[in-house]
Amino acid sequence: MQGIGNGKRQICYNIGAMNDGNTLLGPKGQRQSPGTGDSAVRIEGVVREFASVKAVDGLSLALAPGEIMGFLGTNGAGKTTTIKMIIGLLRPSAGKVSVFGGDPSDPAVRARVGYMPEVATYYPYLNARELLAFYGGICGLDAKLVKTRTDELLESVGLSEAAKRPLKTYSKGMLQRAGIAQALLNDPDLLVLDEPFTGLDPLARIHFRELLRSLREKGKAVFFSSHELGETELLCDRVAIMKHGHCVYQGAVKDLAGDGGSNLERLFLKTLEEAK
Amino acid sequence: MKTAFRQFKALVKLSFLELWRRNDIFALVLLGLALMVPLSMASPFGADGASRYLDEAALLLVWGFSLFIALGSGQRLLAPEFEARTIYPLLAKPISRGRLLFGKYLGALAASWSALAFFYVLFVGSVLLRGGAFAAELPQALALHFAFIALAVAVSLLGSLLMSASANCALSSIVLVGMFFFGRRLPEYADGLNPALAWLVKAVYAIAPHAEFFDMRQRLVHGWGAVGWPVFAAVLCYALVYIAVLLGLASLALRRRRL
Repeated sequence: MQGIGNGKRQICYNIGAMNDGNTLLGPKGQRQSPGTGDSAVRIEGVVREFASVKAVDGLSLALAPGEIMGFLGTNGAGKTTTIKMIIGLLRPSAGKVSVFGGDPSDPAVRARVGYMPEVATYYPYLNARELLAFYGGICGLDAKLVKTRTDELLESVGLSEAAKRPLKTYSKGMLQRAGIAQALLNDPDLLVLDEPFTGLDPLARIHFRELLRSLREKGKAVFFSSHELGETELLCDRVAIMKHGHCVYQGAVKDLAGDGGSNLERLFLKTLEEAK
Repeated sequence: MKTAFRQFKALVKLSFLELWRRNDIFALVLLGLALMVPLSMASPFGADGASRYLDEAALLLVWGFSLFIALGSGQRLLAPEFEARTIYPLLAKPISRGRLLFGKYLGALAASWSALAFFYVLFVGSVLLRGGAFAAELPQALALHFAFIALAVAVSLLGSLLMSASANCALSSIVLVGMFFFGRRLPEYADGLNPALAWLVKAVYAIAPHAEFFDMRQRLVHGWGAVGWPVFAAVLCYALVYIAVLLGLASLALRRRRL
């Protein structure tokens, strides 16, 4: 086992290669065996190929309810491909992805998942309230429930005052907040976010961070990709770092504490350097 | 069942909002008003023949505008979802691709049909204002026109998944307008060609959507009477089968499309 730091740290490199995908690092860094049914997300030895290119190669990880996991990596490392497999938009070429023990493409499983893409230009002719009503209908939610949830969510993402303005008048950050609201509309048990901090101003980031922490307190699992190492360090229980389709690091963020400064940034650079 | 109904309702409402909030539809409605009202009401030559000619021209405009809206609606069903990347959060929701496609189709159909109904209200209203009466053929003509619009939306929807927006609009328009005007003449045209070309023209005749089957303008304007009910039913069945095949192919294309 290849690790960094002192004996307290249970951090390993390239877990897929280390254990052939048979043993996983579970929530809070403990080992888990495949088949444990309590994971929100379980990825076992997943490979995803596009023509001859392996976008994801031998990835294994698990995410438990009540856990926030940051998914880091350089551009083209395979983060978005992994996220698409978790939400059932792509099927792995090999290996297995399960969400709450089921197939991610199963609508019953997806009813428990919320997803926000990195960039989406939501319907410009709708306002935020209509957007959430539309997504509520797509989720099959009752109209009264959608209205209640819409009021709550618009308040929590700070769009109440702009709720009746067409989305085409929204700034990038406001669209991002509308995206967060639509992802939370069905009160998901698993929230999957692709670059959620992009475009958010500092105040919105603080609010969003608090929102994600409150979801964790409620036992929701959060999985997000990001290039924002500072935010990731502040928010996550664990991180996984991808490079060229391989997971080159998985570990608990709390194990990084103690050196002062941005430990995650140093770890990120060191990991990528050593994984060359 | 309840979930499916809510999903379809949301998709239909989205299509309606898109149609009526886009500036181009208002421009089209204004154009329709500007052209149809004088065409249908004026009788500059004071003769029945000229009046019928104007009615026929007005109906042709109704066909043109409604086809334009149908092709636009079909094109805008899924292609912009991919461009704006809203397809990802949409497909991440608990809805299957097949249901999404069918719901989108229903939405475009409802929007296009509402526009067509608006044009016919204008046309029939102008006829009544002039002292004319409902033609007995009108219900059949309306039903076939609505069926044609359903077919046109399906053609455009399939095209939008296979080619670019401009290519789809151009090809769909050429095929449907071409068949509308020249479809019934293709077999006799093929007879005058060499065997290879004749086979090609006959293949086009067999495969292409027969827009001309749905055209009852002449009967409506000249009072030639309704078509027989078996023929009417056969044309509706043709439309249903053709639409089902197109939606099946579109569903296949959506499933195979890389996300």
